[in-house]
Order: sequence, then C-alpha cells, then structure tokens
Amino acid sequence: MEYFFLLLFTGLAAVLVGAGLLTSYLVAPHRPNPLKNSPYECGEPTIGQSWVQFNVGYYLFGLLFLVFDVEAAFLYPWAVVFRQVGLTGLIEMGLFLLVLIVGLVYAWRKGALEWV
Amino acid sequence: MNAVFYMASAVAVLTTLLAITRREAVHALLYLIVSLLAVALVFFTLGAPLIAALEVIVYAGAIVILFIFVVMLLNLGNAARTQERVWLPKGAWRAPGALALLLGGLLLYVLKQESRWMPVDRVVDVKEVARALFGPYVLAVEIASVLLLAGLIGAYYLVWRGPIRRPGRRD
Repeated sequence: MEYFFLLLFTGLAAVLVGAGLLTSYLVAPHRPNPLKNSPYECGEPTIGQSWVQFNVGYYLFGLLFLVFDVEAAFLYPWAVVFRQVGLTGLIEMGLFLLVLIVGLVYAWRKGALEWV
Repeated sequence: MNAVFYMASAVAVLTTLLAITRREAVHALLYLIVSLLAVALVFFTLGAPLIAALEVIVYAGAIVILFIFVVMLLNLGNAARTQERVWLPKGAWRAPGALALLLGGLLLYVLKQESRWMPVDRVVDVKEVARALFGPYVLAVEIASVLLLAGLIGAYYLVWRGPIRRPGRRD
C-alpha cells in the first residue's frame, strides 16, 4: 500500500495519454496525402538532412542540468527528514547550496548562460 | 519479489549486451536506457527504493541526455557506422570476453559460498538514507557539493571561447 499513489499516478498518466490519442484517432477524419504525411517543420519545407552538427553550447546546458539534477537528488532525502534534522540540517544544506550558487553566479557573471 | 529480481536482472544483462553490440549509436543508447531502468528495478527488489528512484532520475534521465548531446554534436551518420565496423572487428571481442567470463565465473562462485547474499527482507527507506546523509556522512555531502561545483565550472570552461565583448563594457 506504500506505493499506492505511485501506481495511481502511473495509471492516470497512461489513461490521460491513451485517452488523448484514442479521441484524436476516433474523431479526426482520415484522408492522408503525401503533403500531409511530410514532417512538419514550422510550416517550412525541409532543407537538407537531420544529421547536422549541433552547436557545442547545447552541451553546456546539458551538463548544467546534470549538476543541478544531482543537487536535487540530495534535496529529496533532506525534505523527508526536514523536521528531525532541524537547524543543523538547514545550515548543512545551506552550505551545500551556497557552494553551488556561488559557482552558478560566477558562471553567469562570466557570460556562460548567454547564447553565442 | 524473487521472480521480479531475476526477470529484471535478465533484462539488464540482455539490454547491456545489445547496447554494446549495436552499431547505430542511438539504438545503443535506447538499449542503455532500458538497461538502466532494469537496474533500477533490481535495486527496488533489493530493498533500496531511493537508489532505484535516483537511478531513473539521474542515470536514465540526466546522464543519458549528455550521451544524446554527444551523438548530436559528433554528427554521426552512415560514415560512423562503417568506421565502427573497422574499429571493432570480430576478433576484438575475444580477450575482453574471456576476462569478463572469468569475472562472471568468480562472481557465481562467491555467490554460491555466501548463502545470505540477497537482503530482500530489509528495506532501506528514504528516511534511513537521509538520517545517514545528515548524520555521520554530512562531510561527504558537503564535499559532493564541491565536486558538483567542479563539474559546473568545468562545463563552463569546456565551451568557453574567450571573453564576451559587450559594447560599452570591459570584462
């Protein structure tokens, strides 16, 4: 029973997505033609292949996401025992976050978050 | 729970093998994601729900994104598949395969010796992990933040292309 809500959320997610797909399948008229079946790219005709070299800047945002994802992983257990660990836990987590915030502010000031 | 453990382990082993042997990088990545999800299920059956959740959030979520970005950046196409075939001829599998088999055999031997190797009867819940993290291991948590800081700054310098020049401001 401990994981009842996890099951409930999983079920609801599946029902929600399935219902959307099923409704559009039942309601939408089916008259395909080559133009309709072509990939939609903001209404523009496709130019070249999808194998193009992407800007390395995307990787920075991937790495930043990973750093803050791992940081959030430390926040979940803290939230569970927030009342038990009290002020000590708050100071410990504050230090933890401060180190990363200083890093983020440094990178920000240096212009790392700007798209070039 | 035992049956779930064995099935999830089988899926993990199979998908890992497929992830290694696929020539198309994106296909290998898809198998890697399934492998990580299977390992998460293995952790769950072993009584570690937090690690199972983190396996999904951090590994199948964040780290696989980095892999996908590398695939996008390196612009792999048909040429890469041919290159892969050249780099990995059939014979290249022999030595690592033999060593892996040896390790697998040793693992089975050890598991046979130790009878109580699967602690399924004790679930280590999030509270217990948290109490350890903010008790005896608090210094490790703080050091982890410094490690993450190194990742943050390292990521920034990886794509750094010299100081940005803005009009009317000096950096």
